[in-house]
Amino acid sequence: MRDFKDKIKRAGKTVLFFAILFALLTGMSSMLTEISKKNDNLIQSRNKSLIKIQKEPPNSIDVLILGDSLSYTSISPMQLWNRYGITSFIGGQSGQKIYETYHILKTTLENQSPKLVVIETDVLLRGRTGLGRLKDKLEEKGSYYFPIFRYHNVWKPLLMGEEYAEESYKGFMLRDTIQPYKKGEYMKKTGEKIQLSPFVTDYMEQIISLCRENDIKILLISTPSPVNYNYKKYNALKEYAQENSLDYLDMNLKVKKLDIDWKSDSLDKGDHVNLLGAQKITRYFGKYITSRYDLTDHRGDAGFEMWEREAKDYKKKTKKKVEAMQNSLRIG
Amino acid sequence: MAYHTIVYLFLFLPLVLTAYQIAPRKLRRAVLVGAGYGFFWLISRKLVVFLIGTTLFTHYIGLCLTWLKQKCRMETDSCAPEGKSGIRKKYKKKEKLVLACGIILLLTVLAYLKYYNFFAHNANQLLEAVSVPLAFPAKRLVLPIGISFYTLQAIGYMADVYWEKVQTENHPGKLALFLGFFPQIMEGPISMYSQTAEALWRCDSLKGENLSRGCVRIIWGLFKKMIVADRLYLLVKAVFDHYEQYSGIVIAAAAISYTVQLYMEFSGSMDIIIGSGRMFGVVLPENFRQPFVSRNAAEFWRRWHITLGVWFKTYIFYPMSASALVKKWNRFGKKHFGKYITKLGISAICLYPVWLCNGLWHGPRWSYLFYGMYYFVILLFGIAAEPVKNGLLQRCGIKESAWYWKRLQILKTWVIIFVGELFFRAEGLSIGLKMFKSMFQNVSLHCLWDGTFLNFGLDKGDYLVIICGCLTAAVVGGIKERNLLGDGGLAKLKTPVRWSIYYALIFAVIIFGAYGVGYQQVDLIYAGF
Repeated sequence: MRDFKDKIKRAGKTVLFFAILFALLTGMSSMLTEISKKNDNLIQSRNKSLIKIQKEPPNSIDVLILGDSLSYTSISPMQLWNRYGITSFIGGQSGQKIYETYHILKTTLENQSPKLVVIETDVLLRGRTGLGRLKDKLEEKGSYYFPIFRYHNVWKPLLMGEEYAEESYKGFMLRDTIQPYKKGEYMKKTGEKIQLSPFVTDYMEQIISLCRENDIKILLISTPSPVNYNYKKYNALKEYAQENSLDYLDMNLKVKKLDIDWKSDSLDKGDHVNLLGAQKITRYFGKYITSRYDLTDHRGDAGFEMWEREAKDYKKKTKKKVEAMQNSLRIG
Repeated sequence: MAYHTIVYLFLFLPLVLTAYQIAPRKLRRAVLVGAGYGFFWLISRKLVVFLIGTTLFTHYIGLCLTWLKQKCRMETDSCAPEGKSGIRKKYKKKEKLVLACGIILLLTVLAYLKYYNFFAHNANQLLEAVSVPLAFPAKRLVLPIGISFYTLQAIGYMADVYWEKVQTENHPGKLALFLGFFPQIMEGPISMYSQTAEALWRCDSLKGENLSRGCVRIIWGLFKKMIVADRLYLLVKAVFDHYEQYSGIVIAAAAISYTVQLYMEFSGSMDIIIGSGRMFGVVLPENFRQPFVSRNAAEFWRRWHITLGVWFKTYIFYPMSASALVKKWNRFGKKHFGKYITKLGISAICLYPVWLCNGLWHGPRWSYLFYGMYYFVILLFGIAAEPVKNGLLQRCGIKESAWYWKRLQILKTWVIIFVGELFFRAEGLSIGLKMFKSMFQNVSLHCLWDGTFLNFGLDKGDYLVIICGCLTAAVVGGIKERNLLGDGGLAKLKTPVRWSIYYALIFAVIIFGAYGVGYQQVDLIYAGF
């Protein structure tokens, strides 16, 4: 009897220990998330978009753009606002992986109800295999349920006073460097295609069903990038989009229509576009989505005054930067 | 799947523990062997055949030795007393031959996989220098994970059977468990058959106390690895990769940082490994015992990578001490040179192979050989200078136990350790020598506050965490050294105090761990050996 009582007591103690640990993890997680939300300069670049999107007023974002660095260097939400009054946000991260795309979407849907989710397809081409895949998946799940793992480093700026300030407009990064791409045509027609990783397509299934549950349309886009795209990838992505009844827009096939000039519009030798390239891509992209999806023009609406203010600032900044870029091109 | 990764700690280990506990006792051995081979396969894939092959080969060598011993016993029992010695000699010869075959084959496999290219490269250079038109082709050889560790364990087992320290089992499972226990595969500790085989074979049920002690040990290991070692990695890598850009204090700081990084990482991994073993009720031998309080290099090696030192002592040093060569020298030396030189000669004969093997064991690089020889010279010098030192101390009236003398000795040992690790970490012997020289050039303390140290990927916050982490480790080391908590360890403390320590440790790792944005996951250093 005493043994039994001892066992129960020990089991109770174990449960209590883990319950306290769970409570501490949850409490610290929400505390760190709140601290990061209050001042997003406390967190480093890669996690910024996740925090910033949580700071947006509830149900104010109509278009959510997800993806890796191609997403936040190619499409400018402020330009979309200025031209069409569309509210969009870029939940992009450098080298974003598909499970991160999924979790950013899931986190966003906690207080936003976008009408359209745009996924930059470079994330679909980034597959991991074996233990690395398992490791990434576990880490992302852990960080999703206990954000303390994601924001644990905020102690550093809090204690040492060094912050990680970064200029971004609804996730878009103003990049004004010019490093031309000189290697010529990169979308050479072929019947071959690459194989998408099952890991990626499994996560895409979850993304698709999450969007369908929330009545959200999905658009896959491939933004112009000679380093990251070719026809084999286009074939695979087109086939995937068709099989899953998703809209797909590959702008690499429309470089001429977009008026992309790789001498002036490339940021880093064809990997990303700079501000000049992003303006051209956003112009085309804006036209494309407004003609296909039912998106509201929020200009003048109550509650969107912040957008107006930020748009003005954006206009000023981009004007200066564009002028400087054009000058440097003239000088050669 | 290193031991500090999320996949090992939150998936592999819990899964094996669960499978082990729910399996019937008889199947538990199979679970552990399967987990060991599974772990090996996940890292080295089909090279697991090397581990299986080594296990079977070692098992049959053991059986063969036992069979010879039994046969010898039977024959000596049934023969006349005057013939017994002859029979024993005959069988001893056969046993020696079998043991030699076993050791040579295992060492050949290890030498071929680990050292062939090193040998080929150096032999080709030599042949070219003497204009011999012959060249050994370089080969793409993949090393099975942990081969340097399990080979030593296997050789130790064969020698123990030969010396009748352990008995063989007909079932190869016990040996398979001993050589392939998954927490030990990557980095040791190099245990002896008598230390772990029995507990592994018993397969006791999991116990709450073992689980909790194991968990605490694992978290302590993560503390050392993730808070201190992985941060220092950034500084060490930055300086050692671009050593030509630095000199003076920066090089010295990098050597010290690497020593601390290596200790925190290797001993941290050991904590995780020993903690994992503890969860299954297996007490693995300790590999570290507060090495930085050592008063000389010999003591340091009794406290640093203990199981490797014990292995060399048991299987190389002692057999050498009892060898015919030493006996001959002893007789010759005493006759011609006196006691002092004879003792020094014996030490040199016995220590030289130990330190040559120690250097070689770490890998096929001249810098590792130099590292081994460095300690050989220092230890020999220590023995040679002992009478002079004792005489000086007596004349100056300094007691060996005086606190200031102890501190001075510890400081001297630190210098020896730091210099040794500088050569150990440098990418080659010539670079090590260059770095050593540059340590004495442009020596200026200015770099300590002009921001130089903020260019290595670490900021002030990181340095603060490193200092706090080292101080915590030093306090814990002090408590252990003085055995302040006794055998019960933390279990003796009251629950609220104990739990507060556990939570503090867990959250220290979570909050101050060098992981996530801005850091990179650092592979285990000793897994590369």
